[in-house]
Amino acid sequence: MGDSENPFGELLQDYVLECLPLAEQVADAFVELERRWREGDPADTLLTSLAGRLHTVKGNSAMMGLVPMRETAHALEDACALLRQQPECRNDEAASLLVAGGSLLVDLVRDASAELDPAPAARFVERVRQWLAAGGAPAADTQPERRRAERRGAEAPADPDKAANVVRVDFRRLDAMLEVLGEGLIQHAALAEAYRALAPRARAGPELARLDHAVVALEKTLKRLESTLMETRLLPISTVFARFARMVRDTAEAEGKRVRLVTAGGETPLDKAVLDRLSEPLLHLITNAIVHGIEGGEVRRQGGKPDEGSVRLEAAPQAGRVVIRVSDDGRGLNEQAIRKKAEALGQELRDGETVPLRNLIFLPGLSTAERVSTLAGRGVGLDVVAGAIHTLGGTIDVATAPGRGTAFTLSLPVTLAIVRSLIVEIDQERYALPLAHVAETVRAEPEAIREINHRGVAQWRGGLIHVADGGALLGTARGRPEPRRYYVVMSAGGKRRGLLVDRLVGHQDVVVKGLDAALGRPDVVSGTTILGDGRVACILDAVRILEGGRRAG
Amino acid sequence: MPADGAPPGEGLLGFAEAMDASPAETAPAPGPELHLLTFVLGREEFGIPVTQVREVIRVADITRVPHAPAHVRGVANLRGRILAVVALRSRLGLPAAEPTPRSRIVVVDLRGRVLGLLVDAVSQVTKVPEASVVAAPEDVRSAEADYVTGVARWQSRLIILLDLEKALAPTE
Repeated sequence: MGDSENPFGELLQDYVLECLPLAEQVADAFVELERRWREGDPADTLLTSLAGRLHTVKGNSAMMGLVPMRETAHALEDACALLRQQPECRNDEAASLLVAGGSLLVDLVRDASAELDPAPAARFVERVRQWLAAGGAPAADTQPERRRAERRGAEAPADPDKAANVVRVDFRRLDAMLEVLGEGLIQHAALAEAYRALAPRARAGPELARLDHAVVALEKTLKRLESTLMETRLLPISTVFARFARMVRDTAEAEGKRVRLVTAGGETPLDKAVLDRLSEPLLHLITNAIVHGIEGGEVRRQGGKPDEGSVRLEAAPQAGRVVIRVSDDGRGLNEQAIRKKAEALGQELRDGETVPLRNLIFLPGLSTAERVSTLAGRGVGLDVVAGAIHTLGGTIDVATAPGRGTAFTLSLPVTLAIVRSLIVEIDQERYALPLAHVAETVRAEPEAIREINHRGVAQWRGGLIHVADGGALLGTARGRPEPRRYYVVMSAGGKRRGLLVDRLVGHQDVVVKGLDAALGRPDVVSGTTILGDGRVACILDAVRILEGGRRAG
Repeated sequence: MPADGAPPGEGLLGFAEAMDASPAETAPAPGPELHLLTFVLGREEFGIPVTQVREVIRVADITRVPHAPAHVRGVANLRGRILAVVALRSRLGLPAAEPTPRSRIVVVDLRGRVLGLLVDAVSQVTKVPEASVVAAPEDVRSAEADYVTGVARWQSRLIILLDLEKALAPTE
């Protein structure tokens, strides 16, 4: 709160907003340079294309009086200038110098403040100075300065026409607009409800028809506003992908492996709120792929694979959702070890029936077995990843083939903010069920649900599904005399389950609101929302309910 | 009315009744003062800094949140914003009580975290000399109740001072 009152703080925010992406692009380009040089490609164009961005970062840093950033960018400019002139210097040593500088620059810009520790930048500047001296470069400070001055004219800023139509908006403003829209949607729901209550009692006439018309028209207008606003909030997923290039390189290097990251579908749009919460789980999956998936060079050669492993990160829109695949061409999951570990965790693996791997690998406490122990602290529980994806209203699945690799497939909603939901009532409480996970609603005939092994089971579309009591699941049932009248068939990730409810209230676009930390992490609730009558309802987490059974019995 | 239901000694600070409220107020204290919003839980009066209070509202519809911690009463609609409502009684280990017409929700802002506290009744905003505050007795402080920062003895009242940030730390 205090920060926003400090004008320098706001300037600093603008600085980070503008320079961090540039610094990240520069740093990623250095990683790419390193790879290309190893392959014998001089990559002249790439090297030259960096200059403008580097220069902007330097200029902005100087303007803000941020000396470590300015000096680091300056040193990188000098190094790049030398490398442009002397292609013979483009070796591993030069590349790792650039990569180190790029990482440093990103870190400095990200943590930009007036009280930044100048030591790392000073060390890097000194390292560059020595390298320039050893490389037979001209004295580090004078001549490159002039060369840069000459070059400046040639570096036209990015397309000015395009820039003229772009406004930079703080994302919090978009959030605020969404809040207002949300209130509008709630008010519309209230209006529509009042109309429905009124219509049967009022005498039909032109006024009533006009009112009906206005209610419908208002909904359409709000919908249009919603979709426009939603589009505004979308960013290409490449903004997240871009962060991984350097991280893949660093992790692979630390593991003594050679790994390249291949990305595709970076233009796929996703709501920024989803994007922001996606990078952590993706990071986990990619780290896992490099550390546990990709084999060392020797093993790969024996297996007839190229030395360099590859991790693929692909995104594509699919039926209103976004599907992201993280795959590697490594050794694949050790299914036996996973099953053993799951059994040790007390998971029942019934004989004669194969429990799919995906039901096991995301269990809490199941890190991928013995490999974790050799890499202390690296075993990232996939349950954490799955939890994060579920919180986003997504699903995660896995496929693996021994010796050929592992692929994780994530399916995510494009936007978190507004979810079309079925409103149901259970024990006088109303809940929202995201329609994306609702397959069907069924009237629960008393004889249709049978009890097998203390679990309710019903016939549905030629098969049997488990039907759980909503009140039992949500902890509200207390010796009900009356049976519930409906069940909602929910489906996600290939799983289906019925949920018994008292009443189907209707459909509503609900604006998703968060849960305060004071509420803990309620298992089956993913968020809250406000209904047409102003009451708050919990949004049920269909994925958790489908997995659950823990409390549903 | 809820206060009368609690048997004697069941309060958070049973000791408070036994403390002598008179000595601290012998002279009108000129020193610095604490601005407190005071409210009642059972038979005891509690105080929190007014700077933490946003508003006091009547108890409206509170929606239950499945499987939330026991002291969380639920969530309410505060002008379009979702407000988590904590039953302060349960949080402080006092016997639970249903809301009465005197019950209120004190909306507090703890460094940007906005929460509602369900209390039996709100008394008023009180100025209390800092000098009238004494430490809570050892046995209370060392127990779970580290959110009691002290007791103000002022004009024959005993006001238990709460550190809400400690009392309402996020649940993991």
